[in-house]
Amino acid sequence: MELTSSLSRDLVLEVSKKLGEPQWLQTKRLEAWETFAKLPYPTTRTEEWKYTDITEVPFEELPLELPKGGVSEIPQAVQDRLAQAQLSGYAVFVGADLVHVELPEEYRQQGVIFTSLHQALAQHPELVEANLFQAVNWHDLVGAQKNRPENSKIPALGAALFTHGVFLYIPKNVEFSKPIGVFKYLEGGRLSSSRTLIVGDVNSQAVYIEEYISPARVAPSVNTSSTEIIVGNGAKVRHAHIQLLGQGFYHFHRQRAHLQRDAALNDLVVNMGASISRAEVQSEMLGPGSSSEMLGLYFTTGQEHVDHYTLQHHVADHAYSDVLYKGAAKDQSRTVYAGLIKVEQGAQKTDAYQTNRNLLLSADARSDSVPQLEIGANDVKCSHGSSTAPVAPEELFYLMSRGLPRHLAQQILVKGHMADVLTRIPIEPLRQYIESIIEEKVRV
Amino acid sequence: MVNQLEIRNLHARIVDGETILNGVNLVLPKGQVHAIMGPNGAGKSTLGKIIAGDPSYEITKGDILMDGESILEMEADERARKGLFLAFQYPVEVPGVSNANFLRLALQAKKGGEVNLTEFYGKLQKALETLEWDESILTRYLNDGFSGGEKKRNEIMHMMVLEPTYAIMDETDSGLDIDALKVVAKGVNAMRGPNFGALLITHYQRLLNYIVPDVVHVMIDGRIVTSGGPELAMKLEEQGYDWVKELAVSN
Repeated sequence: MELTSSLSRDLVLEVSKKLGEPQWLQTKRLEAWETFAKLPYPTTRTEEWKYTDITEVPFEELPLELPKGGVSEIPQAVQDRLAQAQLSGYAVFVGADLVHVELPEEYRQQGVIFTSLHQALAQHPELVEANLFQAVNWHDLVGAQKNRPENSKIPALGAALFTHGVFLYIPKNVEFSKPIGVFKYLEGGRLSSSRTLIVGDVNSQAVYIEEYISPARVAPSVNTSSTEIIVGNGAKVRHAHIQLLGQGFYHFHRQRAHLQRDAALNDLVVNMGASISRAEVQSEMLGPGSSSEMLGLYFTTGQEHVDHYTLQHHVADHAYSDVLYKGAAKDQSRTVYAGLIKVEQGAQKTDAYQTNRNLLLSADARSDSVPQLEIGANDVKCSHGSSTAPVAPEELFYLMSRGLPRHLAQQILVKGHMADVLTRIPIEPLRQYIESIIEEKVRV
Repeated sequence: MVNQLEIRNLHARIVDGETILNGVNLVLPKGQVHAIMGPNGAGKSTLGKIIAGDPSYEITKGDILMDGESILEMEADERARKGLFLAFQYPVEVPGVSNANFLRLALQAKKGGEVNLTEFYGKLQKALETLEWDESILTRYLNDGFSGGEKKRNEIMHMMVLEPTYAIMDETDSGLDIDALKVVAKGVNAMRGPNFGALLITHYQRLLNYIVPDVVHVMIDGRIVTSGGPELAMKLEEQGYDWVKELAVSN
C-alpha cells in the first residue's frame, strides 16, 4: 500500500491501523500528532537551531515510507558491511521492511529479544508498553530548550508517524560482548521514520550498532530516527549510531538514554553523510554511580552540514559523564556542535566533562561550537572546552616532504585529529570501517 | 645528466614578509657530503626548507636544479618522490598513525605502488641495527611523545628507509648528547656512497668530527660567503664567525 497523502491526523490513524497496533499506541501517536500540528518548525531564530537552517527540508512534501512486504533481498552495500562487521546477530531493513533478522540461538535461549518493534508489540506487549516513549518523546525538554517548544516538532513527527523499528531486550544478568548490528538501507525520495528501543535489564551487557546506508545520491529525502536506551541497575550498554546516507538526505536523529544506579553507557555517534544531518544525543544520569561516555566523530565535505547536540543531565549524585566530539570539515561544508552539562541540585559529586574539537581543511569550511554548563550543585567536578583550528601548514609540509600526496597527508592529519576518539572504540572492525570512511572522504 | 643539486642565485622571503635569502649559490655533487655552517639567523634552516618545498616561503629570484631539472614548480611531495629528503629540526608529532605504517605509505608513494612487506621490514631491520634501536619505535605513533633525541634518530631512520638521492639535515645534531650524535652520524655515514649527496646544516663543528664533509660552506645574511675543506670548520670553531662576517661586509 502506498500512502502519498500529505501529513495529516488521518494518515497517523491509517499508519497505526495498517501496522495493527494496540489502542494505547494509537492514542500516543495521536497525542504526538497534536503536538506536531500545533508547533512551528525550529528556525535559525530558535537558539538551539541558530546555525542550522532547515527551511529547505521537504518534511511535508514527500510520501511516507511504509512497509511494502515481499522484500527479501539484502542490498549489496549491506552485504559488504555484513561480511566485514563480525557481528553476533543482525537485522536488515530496506526502507520500512524488515528483510532479515538473525540472533544466535544461545542468546535466544537466555531470553534475549531482538526483533522488529511491531513484532515485539505483538509478542511482548507489556515490555514495549512499559518502555516506549519513556526516554524519547514529544514533551520532555531539558534546560533552556523548555522555553522553546519548537524543539519538540521533529521528535513529535517521529512519534506520530514512525513506520518501523527495532526492539532489543537483554534479560537480567545476561551478557554478550559481540555486537548486534542493525542496518537500515534507504533508497530515498521519501519521508522515513523509525524507532529503536533498547532495554538492558539489571546487570546485563550488550553491544548495539546501528548503521544508515543509502545510494551516494538520492532525490530529496527525509529520515527521522529516535533511539531510546534504558540501562537498568548495574547494566552496561555500548551503542553506536553510524550515519552514512547519501547527498539529498536530511537526517534527524534523537536519542536519549536513561541510566539507573551504577548503569554504564558507552555511546558513539558517527555522522559522515547526508546533506543536512542533526543528531541530538542525551544521557540522563538518573541513578547514583551511573556513567556515560559519549563519543562523536564527523567529517563533512562538499556542501554538507552536520549538527550535533549533546546533553549530560546529572539528576543523581556520584555519576560520571564524558563527552568527546571531534570533527573535520573540508570544502564549503559546515559543522555545528552544542552541548550542555546540566547538574541538578541534588547531584553532588558529579564528575562531568565535555570537549569538542574541530579541524578545518579549507578556508571556506566552518565549524561552530557552543559548550555550556548549568550547575545547580556545589560539590562537583565539571569542565568543558572547545577549539576550532585549520590544519597546521607545517604539519602538512612535514608529511608531504616524505613523499605523501596532499590528500594522503590530510587523511593522516584527520585521523590524527580523531585518534583519541578512534582509540576509544574497542570494536576493531567498526573502528577500521570508520577509518576507511574517513580515507574515502578525504580522497574525494 | 648533471648529477648534482644546484642552488642558483636563490633569493627568497617569507610569503609577503621578510627577505631571508639574498642570492645563494651552492653545488652539491652526488656522492659528496657538504656542511653549511653559520650563525643564528643566517638563513641556513630556511634554505633547507625551501629546497624541500616549504610553501611558507616564496622564491623571488633564482632556481633550484636537481640533476639538471628545476624543481621550483614542484610541491614538496613531488620533490620527495624525485629523491629529495629533509630531516626536520622539529619533526611533527602525528598521533593515529604508527611510525612503521607511515613509512610504508611514504615508501609506497615514492615507488608508486605496493611495497613488498618482507623487503620493507628488511630495510627497517637494517636501519634499526645501524641506529642501535629496538623495534618498539615502529609501533608507536609517528613522533608522538618521542623525546628530542628519539625524534632526531627517527628522522635518520626515515632517511635510511626512503633512500633519497639528496638529503638535507637541518640541525640534526642540536640537542643530542654525544652518544646519540655518534649513532646519528653512523646512520648518515652508512648512506654515503656514489648515489647519495647530503647537506648538513649545523651550528657546531662537533657533528663534523663524526661525519667528515667534503666541503664546508659558511652562510651569513642569506648568502654563502666562503667555502673550503673540513679545516674551515675547525677554524670557525676556534675563531668564531666574526672574521667571516667581516669577509661578508668586504664582499
